Amino acid sequence: MNDSKLTRAFDNDWIGPALVSLVAIAAISALQPSFLSSFNILVLLSAIAVNMLIALGQLVIIAVGQMNLALGSIGGLVAISFAAMMEIWHLPPLVAMGGGLAIGVIAGMASGFVIARTGISAFIITLAGLQIFKGINLGITEAQPFYGVPQSVKDFGNVALAGPIPWLVLPMVAAAVFMWVLFNRLRIGRYILAIGGNRNAAELSGINLDTTVIWAHALSGLLAAGAGMMLVARLQIGHPAIGEDWLISSFAAPVIGGAILSGGHVSVVGTFFGVVIIAIITQALVLFAIDPFVVQIVLGALILWAVGINRLREMRVARAKA
Amino acid sequence: MTAALEVLHASKSFPGVKALDDVSLTLQPGSIHALLGENGAGKSTLIKIVTGLHRPDAGEVRLNGQAVGFANPRQAVAAGIGAVHQERNLVTRFSIGENIMLERLGAHALSPIDYGQIHAEAAKWLALLDLYIDPRRPVSSLSVAQMQLVEIGKALALQTRVLLLDEPTASLTPNESQVLFGILRRLRDDGVAIVFVSHKLEEVFDLCDTVTVLRDGRNACSGVPLKDLDRQAVVKMMIGRDERIAKRAPRPRAETAPYLELKNVATSAGHRDISFSVRPGEIIGLYGLVGAGRSELAKAILGQIRRTGGEIRVAGKPAAIASPADALHKYGIGYVSEDRKQEGLILLHSVLGNAGITVWRRLSNALGFLRDRTIIDHTAPVLRQLEVKTPSVYQTIGNLSGGNQQKVSVAKWIAAGVKLLIIDEPTVGIDIKTKAYLHDLIHDLAEQGTAILLITSDMPEMVDVADHILVMSGFAIKGEVENDRNYERVSQAIMGFIHDNASTGAAA
Repeated sequence: MNDSKLTRAFDNDWIGPALVSLVAIAAISALQPSFLSSFNILVLLSAIAVNMLIALGQLVIIAVGQMNLALGSIGGLVAISFAAMMEIWHLPPLVAMGGGLAIGVIAGMASGFVIARTGISAFIITLAGLQIFKGINLGITEAQPFYGVPQSVKDFGNVALAGPIPWLVLPMVAAAVFMWVLFNRLRIGRYILAIGGNRNAAELSGINLDTTVIWAHALSGLLAAGAGMMLVARLQIGHPAIGEDWLISSFAAPVIGGAILSGGHVSVVGTFFGVVIIAIITQALVLFAIDPFVVQIVLGALILWAVGINRLREMRVARAKA
Repeated sequence: MTAALEVLHASKSFPGVKALDDVSLTLQPGSIHALLGENGAGKSTLIKIVTGLHRPDAGEVRLNGQAVGFANPRQAVAAGIGAVHQERNLVTRFSIGENIMLERLGAHALSPIDYGQIHAEAAKWLALLDLYIDPRRPVSSLSVAQMQLVEIGKALALQTRVLLLDEPTASLTPNESQVLFGILRRLRDDGVAIVFVSHKLEEVFDLCDTVTVLRDGRNACSGVPLKDLDRQAVVKMMIGRDERIAKRAPRPRAETAPYLELKNVATSAGHRDISFSVRPGEIIGLYGLVGAGRSELAKAILGQIRRTGGEIRVAGKPAAIASPADALHKYGIGYVSEDRKQEGLILLHSVLGNAGITVWRRLSNALGFLRDRTIIDHTAPVLRQLEVKTPSVYQTIGNLSGGNQQKVSVAKWIAAGVKLLIIDEPTVGIDIKTKAYLHDLIHDLAEQGTAILLITSDMPEMVDVADHILVMSGFAIKGEVENDRNYERVSQAIMGFIHDNASTGAAA
């Protein structure tokens, strides 16, 4: 029976991306030994840490069968609010962080609430959210960065915890472990996947659609907030443009990691390797001084490759259904 | 005479199932050919081969004596094979004329559309079908029966010489069906070869000239003149034995207080004045044709369709059921959907993920933590009891057979321990053995005290399983029949209520 093969393919979402990561690391370091220098690893891990939170923020929405176009604009709004609270109100970083996370959750819940209650597609609602949150961002900043970021925050984003490992890795590990537990061990995570897998069946099986969708968006907002504040720490300023370039990679990493875009099936580990692949490619092109536009083309090709593999699997599932 | 269409020794397999095994079908021009078989016998696979959706693994299709291999449905249409499927395939916002001429709105993609010409052309086809309505009207303004005729018109407009009709009368009243039959007879006399798929044997004997019966993916007969057969013989070919005589003794109606009670319920879907009750241990059957409003009533009970009047009482108390989540968690009501794939199961997920979905809420701890082990402990006994055949509980459910999938969609409600189970068309597309098994299961559940509302349009199933039968038509309950398992009497009483409705023109 081909059952076991299919199951295995699903269980091993991350094997393919993991192999691609390893091969890429081996190849690039063979050509350019400085790729494995302590400094370069630190830079690479910092980028991976931030992008992992961004990808997880999208992953939870993909899991429920929707998309969140406002992810970057929520992250950006939180980033500048975080910086502003510290610069203008002189709030201690931890308090400002709490405020930032709250803003992210509220913004996400607002999107989720409107989507759940109106039944309008998440694409449209989060597209509107993208504009609204961006508008608030620009209203607050007047397009000028906040520079008054405390030294402790700057250190968190730029100093190594041990060897080449930056502090930024800590929130990434926490978020990744939490999300893995969410999808595998928590009721709400199962609900999210059930709705993404078959909304009608989930509803008729007694799952509350509205609450679950709001939860998913709140989580997405929380993760976007985390990523936004990590970027403030890393860039050392609250820049109003934070979040503008998140969209493509937020979808690319989960998809490379085996998520099915129509929902119901995601992999946290696969997403991690998706993030790693994107970071390596971006880095390598810098190391080899290749034109940045090539990064875009390679990323686009990677997405096509990933969705191609996804499509192949969906066809196998569809055949099994027939 | 050359056959209009021949399917010769066709076989087709899907993962885990051989849908067709050496099946042949021969259609003569100018005749109406019945294609019969139980659900899952292979009718729809055969139709999909003829219409180019599937390619046979072995065997061939010949059109006017020439072998053809359709790579897609468009090629079949171009070759003159038209199909009207059970579900409507019209763009409802477009006009009738545009729908009929959809394939030929212009010579090429950028041609300007000449609406005058399109509607004039469409009117010709409508006239042929005795349908004198303005082709400029949007399809959405038509009745179901009219939409069906528009689809036939669309098929004919494409120079169709072979017309396949899949359950065309499922959503028609008897009068509308007779009008359709008149038109089909005229098309036959014009030389069209027609395939008529129906579960209603009366219609088949009334209308068709020859018959092909499929059973378990094989020919039980091929192209036999119907005048040589009687109903008993056809049924025997369909089910492989004599028509089933009710084997269960009638059960006395329970004396207990009703678990679910509906009093003069009206809904936004159009139900009016619905009153009935279901007692613990009782199987109430809800019979009706497709479109009678039965599944909609189930969804109104579950809170998915708004109640606009009347009262629903659960266990003696007025109930305000706002959602299926309410129905399950507050009132112990479960619903086995008629549409297993769209509404019943998450095909992408495992057997465990599907069987346990109703108990996650109960089994998670205060922090919302769930362990597979706990869920397995709760669902495995039920899966074993129902003899679900799966290599493991982690198996993707989309890979199981239809029968096993259906068992899981019942199992999840048993695991949840519901007090009332609404079961909607439980055996559509299920093999005969599993069907009998599911009937026993429903019976056993009732014996153990579960209240059951059984929705089915399968008459033998209704007579075999239900204790008491409600007949629904046009979103209202037309009558009640006490089931004494006398098939002739009960089925005639049921059809009597439905025909009654049609002749008084009460259908909205």
